[in-house]
Amino acid sequence: MEELLSSPYLPPLVATLLIIALFPLVAGYMVLAERKVLADLQVRLGPMRVGPYGALQPLADALKLMLKEDIIPSGADKWVFWMAPVLSTFTALSAFAVLPLSDKFYVADVNIGILFILAMSSIGALGLILGGWSSNSKYSLMGSLRAAAQMVSYEVPLGFATVTGIMCAGTLSMQGIIQAQYERGVWGAFDNYLLMLIPTVLFIIAGTAETNRAPFDLPEAESEIVAGFHTEYSGFRFALYFLAEYAAIFVISGICVTLFFGGWLRPFPNVGFLETPLNVGLPVVLFAAIALACIKGATRQIITGFKLGMFGLAGAALLLAALFAVPVINPLIVGLFWFLAKVAVLVYMFIWYRGTFPRFRYDQLMDVGWKWLIPMSLGGLIVNSIAQMLARS
Amino acid sequence: MANPINTFLLTDLLKGLWTTFKNQKPSLVVTEQYPRERPPVMERYRGAPRLNTHPETAETLCISCNLCALACPEQLIVVTSERNPETRRKDLTNFTYDTSRCMFCGLCEDACPVDALELTQDFEMATFTREGQIWDRQMLEEGPLPTEYRH
Amino acid sequence: MPDTILAPPPPPPAPEATLLDSNELVINMGPQHPSTHGVLRVILKLDGETVLGAECVIGYLHRGVEKIAENRTYQQFAPYVDRMDYVAAVSNGLGYCMAVEKLLDVEIPERAQAVRVILAEINRIASHLLWLGTHALDIGAITPVFLCFREREEALKIFEKYCGARLTTHAFRIGGLQYETHDTFEKDCLAFCDLMDEKLKEYHALLTGNRIWVNRTKGIGILNAADCKDYGVTGPVLRAAGEKWDIRKAQPYSGYEKYDFDIPTAENGDTFDRYMVRMEEVTQSCRIVRQAVEGLPAGPIKGKIGKVIKPPPGEAYVSIEAPKGELGYYVVSDGSLNPYRLRVRPPSFVNLGALDKMCRGSLVADVVAIIGTIDIVLGEVDR
Ligand code: SF4
Ligand code: SF4
Repeated sequence: MEELLSSPYLPPLVATLLIIALFPLVAGYMVLAERKVLADLQVRLGPMRVGPYGALQPLADALKLMLKEDIIPSGADKWVFWMAPVLSTFTALSAFAVLPLSDKFYVADVNIGILFILAMSSIGALGLILGGWSSNSKYSLMGSLRAAAQMVSYEVPLGFATVTGIMCAGTLSMQGIIQAQYERGVWGAFDNYLLMLIPTVLFIIAGTAETNRAPFDLPEAESEIVAGFHTEYSGFRFALYFLAEYAAIFVISGICVTLFFGGWLRPFPNVGFLETPLNVGLPVVLFAAIALACIKGATRQIITGFKLGMFGLAGAALLLAALFAVPVINPLIVGLFWFLAKVAVLVYMFIWYRGTFPRFRYDQLMDVGWKWLIPMSLGGLIVNSIAQMLARS
Repeated sequence: MANPINTFLLTDLLKGLWTTFKNQKPSLVVTEQYPRERPPVMERYRGAPRLNTHPETAETLCISCNLCALACPEQLIVVTSERNPETRRKDLTNFTYDTSRCMFCGLCEDACPVDALELTQDFEMATFTREGQIWDRQMLEEGPLPTEYRH
Repeated sequence: MPDTILAPPPPPPAPEATLLDSNELVINMGPQHPSTHGVLRVILKLDGETVLGAECVIGYLHRGVEKIAENRTYQQFAPYVDRMDYVAAVSNGLGYCMAVEKLLDVEIPERAQAVRVILAEINRIASHLLWLGTHALDIGAITPVFLCFREREEALKIFEKYCGARLTTHAFRIGGLQYETHDTFEKDCLAFCDLMDEKLKEYHALLTGNRIWVNRTKGIGILNAADCKDYGVTGPVLRAAGEKWDIRKAQPYSGYEKYDFDIPTAENGDTFDRYMVRMEEVTQSCRIVRQAVEGLPAGPIKGKIGKVIKPPPGEAYVSIEAPKGELGYYVVSDGSLNPYRLRVRPPSFVNLGALDKMCRGSLVADVVAIIGTIDIVLGEVDR
């Protein structure tokens, strides 16, 4: 027992299991958040019926997807059809292994962390391509062809932007990148006299395309090719694709936060007097406000169960606020708080684009990728290296 | 678009983003949570039919003239009556109205000379059977039972 | 598969053709497809993503409306016309009533005419709003559709308040109007116009300048004026090609000659121009409504017309400017209670004929944009 507890494999194992167990739930709530935010942008309410303010909608959706009949088209290539969503989900989730969720909580800190993530997300594209191809449907095939072309071309500017970030930090390890930003005393995005903003913006744009999100959601462009590569998928396999998509969004936002927005560092990491207000004050106030909002929402619920649920949520938020106020626990969780908060802001932006922009056309997408993003990201790389050299000398 | 600075700074896209961002104000939400709050319909709304009765005597106002049945494009109204030997008038015996075929055009209502047939503001007419859609005289006079929802 | 569209004629199929051959790909878009606006089926012939030809298969919503007319009296048929272009039911009703009135040769009181114009113009705005929302949705912008429906709701509320129904209004009767305007009619209409003027800015901010929108619409689905005439295309599609043809100006009816308004036109005849023309038409419709409401005369609302409508034998053709183009009603009477024959010239159906011409050489993504820009309503195409 003693041996087991002190084993170096234990923390990563626990973290892995936690991530695998929790991520479907997180993805479900990301979907709910997306629906709610989209509804907000579109003067609607979004899901309201399952649970108070639709809070249990993800569970209902998950249940529905699991109980649905699993249809495999008769012309489909069965094995590939089975494996494709698994491949997508597997690669998307395995990228979590090196994501530095906080200074304490991560699975592994390998010295090629960022390369590993990029490699995994490239293999993820294979899942979409295979899924569309094996469905033996024309719409799916078109979707997967689009996915292939899009992912390959947007990988390049994404890579250049990443390289710029890595160059600025001087290391490939994810924790190292954050450490470097701490030492330089500034977030990656604002480094090099703000020149790093160029790769930051390009990374966000290319990342949107890489995760097939609007306005670059051509592989699943609903109004053109029905549902693209997952037209023929239903039930649990469809849910897996969904999971993969949201995992990819999380991962891309996570890399972006790590490279350019200081990872789990708080804003102004080197300004000492902000330590207490930002690391203790802000989370406490935030969760207390959430608790208050829940209590206020509870009074509007007519159904007793929903009311109790809202009070329960308020209690949970209060508990979190209390945890952040305890000096022993605070340093353990505050990193996670900042990381997730930053990721949440990025995810909100992803949803915001989706609610605003029309979709690109296939050839225009290629134009943007090859004629604009790649030259600009190359330019960003060169400009930043010159700036860095000047700063060093 | 013509201005290269605007093109580079994505002003057009930011304008759109700002527009959607502004729409997030909670007071702008227009959703009506239907079964919970029933939307008010206008006074002239043409909904569920009703056969009016005299408010005091509770006798039907219908004089069995059959004009509504003749006016209806779908021919879904059947008026049955028998002649009362004493008053020499026609007495209404039954009145069926097939709401499943009705398109609520209001022609029957317009045709009725004594305003006996009326289309009301009630719009919840779903039933579990097709037969339930055919309303007889009693249903038309008393109106459908108000729907109750459990949440 | 009919091979009439498939020009140039397809090469003989390779033995054991598979999906991955470099042959052309034929796909069925619809009748169950998210963006064919109902039950339109388009057979697309593709080379990669490039469209080589498109053929529409219609009739999934065919109800035989013209035949129904022969078995209904003139009044009884009026509610059926609402169900053709259900997005612009008021315009349909107006066209039909005017055709029968022409047969009967009755004079419509001024007040009735003005109210008809007001409602028809509000209906034009409502129809354009629905078009804008779904068109934007086809191109991938998912927010405008909700905003458009929010404004359209106000228009439908005016209809509901006036005549008791929101969509299939049956607002007009042969000879005039059935209902006197409600108390707040004028106020509601003016408030709606003000609202539209304000909200149009929001749509412009969301779409007009947006580079993605411009890229997706400029130069797509070009149909020049000569082609429009060849295909008989009317309405905003024709006007976007530079032809200043609007029946409200060319052959004024129902008192349109009294109002001061412009016919918006554009030059290129592409999707973007059609978008701009329709947006401008909304503004012009607001202008008409404002003038009509301010000059709303008092007086009777129904012309001299009996309870039984029995036109003398003869025929009449009336065309009006519906939101989608020229809407014509041709009624033949044999002197009985029912029309002997009724024929509709539906703008959507005729405009849809140009789809193949507009699609050739574009991409799949453009096809949905083009279907959206023609602004079809399948109820009217199939009748
Ligand atoms: S509303 Fe119209 S369809 Fe319905 S019964 Fe009356 S006349 Fe017939
Ligand atoms: S028209 Fe009126 S009075 Fe005559 S039968 Fe119908 S409901 Fe009765």
